[in-house]
Amino acid sequence: MRYGITGPAKAGLYALLLLAAAPAAAQTFEQRGFVELRTELYPREGQRDDTRAVAEALVRYEPAADLARWLRVRGSFDARIDTYEQVARSWSVDIGDRTRQRPALSVRSANATLSRGRFAVDLGKQFIRWGKADIVNPTDRFAPRDFLTVTTSEFLAVSGVRLGWGGDADTVEGVWVPWFTPSRIPLYDKRWTVLPEEAAGFDVIDGGATFPGGSQWGARWNHLASGYEYSLSYYDGYNHLPSIDAAVYPTFAPPPALALARRFPRMRMAGGDLAWPLAWFTLKAEAGYFTAPDRDADEYLQYVIQVERQQGELFLVGGYAGEAVRVRRTVADFAPDRGLSKAFLGRASYTIDPNRSVAAEAAVRQDLSSVWLEGEYSQAVGGHWRATVTGVFIRGEPNDFIGQYRLNSHVGVALRYSF
Amino acid sequence: MSSSLLALMIVGALGQADARGIVAEAQRRTEAGSQHYEGTLRVIDSKGKVADKRWVYDRLGSHGSSKAVLRFTEPAEVRGVALLIVNHPDRASDQWMWTPAIQRDRRIALQDRSTRFFGTDFSFEDLEERDVDQYEYRSLGDEAIDGAACWKIESRPTGRRSSQYTRSILWVRQDTHAYARIENYKGDELVRRLDYREIEQVQGIWTARVLEMHDLGRDSRTVLTLEKLEYNVPTRDEDFTLQALRRGR
Repeated sequence: MRYGITGPAKAGLYALLLLAAAPAAAQTFEQRGFVELRTELYPREGQRDDTRAVAEALVRYEPAADLARWLRVRGSFDARIDTYEQVARSWSVDIGDRTRQRPALSVRSANATLSRGRFAVDLGKQFIRWGKADIVNPTDRFAPRDFLTVTTSEFLAVSGVRLGWGGDADTVEGVWVPWFTPSRIPLYDKRWTVLPEEAAGFDVIDGGATFPGGSQWGARWNHLASGYEYSLSYYDGYNHLPSIDAAVYPTFAPPPALALARRFPRMRMAGGDLAWPLAWFTLKAEAGYFTAPDRDADEYLQYVIQVERQQGELFLVGGYAGEAVRVRRTVADFAPDRGLSKAFLGRASYTIDPNRSVAAEAAVRQDLSSVWLEGEYSQAVGGHWRATVTGVFIRGEPNDFIGQYRLNSHVGVALRYSF
Repeated sequence: MSSSLLALMIVGALGQADARGIVAEAQRRTEAGSQHYEGTLRVIDSKGKVADKRWVYDRLGSHGSSKAVLRFTEPAEVRGVALLIVNHPDRASDQWMWTPAIQRDRRIALQDRSTRFFGTDFSFEDLEERDVDQYEYRSLGDEAIDGAACWKIESRPTGRRSSQYTRSILWVRQDTHAYARIENYKGDELVRRLDYREIEQVQGIWTARVLEMHDLGRDSRTVLTLEKLEYNVPTRDEDFTLQALRRGR
C-alpha cells in the first residue's frame, strides 16, 4: 500500500531538499551513521511460525547542517534488508511510516529548526520524546514505535510542527501533528503475533487500518527548580497503538478467514513527570490519565515510580509501573505500554572499561506470573566497530502480555560499524 | 592567651587571606566572556590500552556564573552526545546529558558526579568550573612544579558546596597565577591528579594547552589537548539551555 506525501511530511521533504544542498551552502555540515548486521536465533518454534533464525542488515545515514545561524536542517535515512520479510521487498522510498512491513528505503526523519532568541520551531518529520522515566513513559504520546520485534522496538518519527521556548528555568513546547503515524505492530504470520486459541482454526489476514484524519496536538511545560525538575503535559489526539477489530469471512474452501483490522481511538492525556535527586538516589515519577472522547477505548491512569543510582561504573534503575482502569471498553488491542503495567521494572548496566559494558533489563509481573529478562554484553573494537551479544528470556502465562511471548526467548548478535 | 599562640593565629589568618587572595587573583586573570575549544582526549588505561575521543567545548561567562556545553564529535558511535553544565556561584552545578540515539536528556544527580565522564578519567564534577567563594583556603608554602615556582594551597569545600572530594591541593604558578597542578583527596587518599602543561598566553590569558588527569585508583590517565582555543568569541545565552542541547547546538 502506498501513501501520498501531505502536510508536514512535505515540510520534511523541503528539509530534505535543503539538506541535499547543504554540503555546499552550509556554515557547518556534520554527518554520522552506521552499518549494522544483526542475527537472532530462536530455540523454539513460534505459535504461527517455525522460523528460528532471522538476519537483518541496516545502513543508517544522518547528515545535519547549519545553513544559517538561525536555520538547521537534519535528516536520517535508512536502507535495510532481511531474511524474514519483516522488511518490504519494494524499493520505493517511504516517508509516511504507515506500512505494515519496515520499508527497505525510508526517510526516517527530515526536519528544519528555525531559532530566534529563546524561540525555536521544528518543522517536518522529527522525534519528540516526553517524560523522564525509563522503560515505560505514560506521557510520551508523540512517540510511535516499530514493534515488529516486540522486545527490540525502535522509535518512529512524527510529521508535524513543534514550537518551543526555552528559558533558564522553564521550557514550554507546543506540538501540532496533522499527519498520523501509527506504531508498527507484529506481522500476523510472524512469531511475534500471538493469537488466542479461539483463532487457531482460522486463516488470519490483515483487515487493513483506518487512519485518523484529524490532527493531534499537545503542550508541555518543564520547570527546573533548584535540585529537582518536573513537567506537566497535555495531549489531544489518537493512540498510536491500535485497537483490533476482528471479522470472520467465509471462504470457498476452509479454513475461514479472520480479518484483523486496526483502528486508532481518539485519546486525551493529562500527565506529568518528576525527577528529584535525593541524597542516595534519584526519584523519578511519571503519570498520565487517559480518556477516550469517542467512548471506544479504556479510560485509565498509568503511573511509574522508579529510583536510579549511579555507583561508580554501575548504573541501577528499579521501579514499578501501575495502572488503574476507570472505564473498561477495549475488547482487543496491541498495547505494549500497558502490557508492562502492574510490573516491577529494572535495569542495570556496568561499564567494565571504556570499550566494554554489560547490561541487564527485566520486567516481572507483580504476581510473579510472568518475567522478561534481557542481558547484553557489548564490546567496542577500535574507533568504529562494536559487537553486541544479547540474550532474551521470557516465561509466563499465555494470557499475560509478557508471558504470551514465552516461545520467543532468543539470543542475538549484532555487529555495527559506525562512521 | 599567650602571645605565641596569638602570633600563630595571626600568621594563620594571614596565610588564609593570602591563599584566598592568590586563588582569587588566578580566577580574575582567567575571566573571559566566553571560551571555545576543540578537545582531543587520549585515554590510556592501566594496561596501556589507548582510546581516543574528541569533543567541542563552548562556555559562556566565567567560573561560578558560567554555562558550558560539551559535545562529542569522536568516536563516531557517541557523536552528538552532549553535556550541559550550569555553574552556580553558591552551590554545585546543574548538569544534563543528552543522548541523541534515544532522544532523551538525563539530569546528572549530585551523587552521580563522582562517576567517570564517558570513559575518561574526568568525573562529571571535574568538568565544573571552580569558584573561589565555594572553598576555604590554607597556605602550605611554596613548591616548584616542573621547575616553576608555585604557591601550594589547600582548599576545602565550604558547607554549601557539595563535592566528592574532601580537600584539594592546588599549585599556582608564581609568575603567571596559572594553575600548575591540582590533587584531589577523599579523606587522606589521593584519588585524582590534574596536571596543567604547555601553559601559554592566549588573548592575554595564561592557559594550559594540555591537561592530564590521572585517576590513581584505576591507574588510568586522560590527556586533554585544547585546539582552536579562543576566548571572547560571539556566543548566545540561548545556546546554553536544555532546548538548545536537544537541538544540537
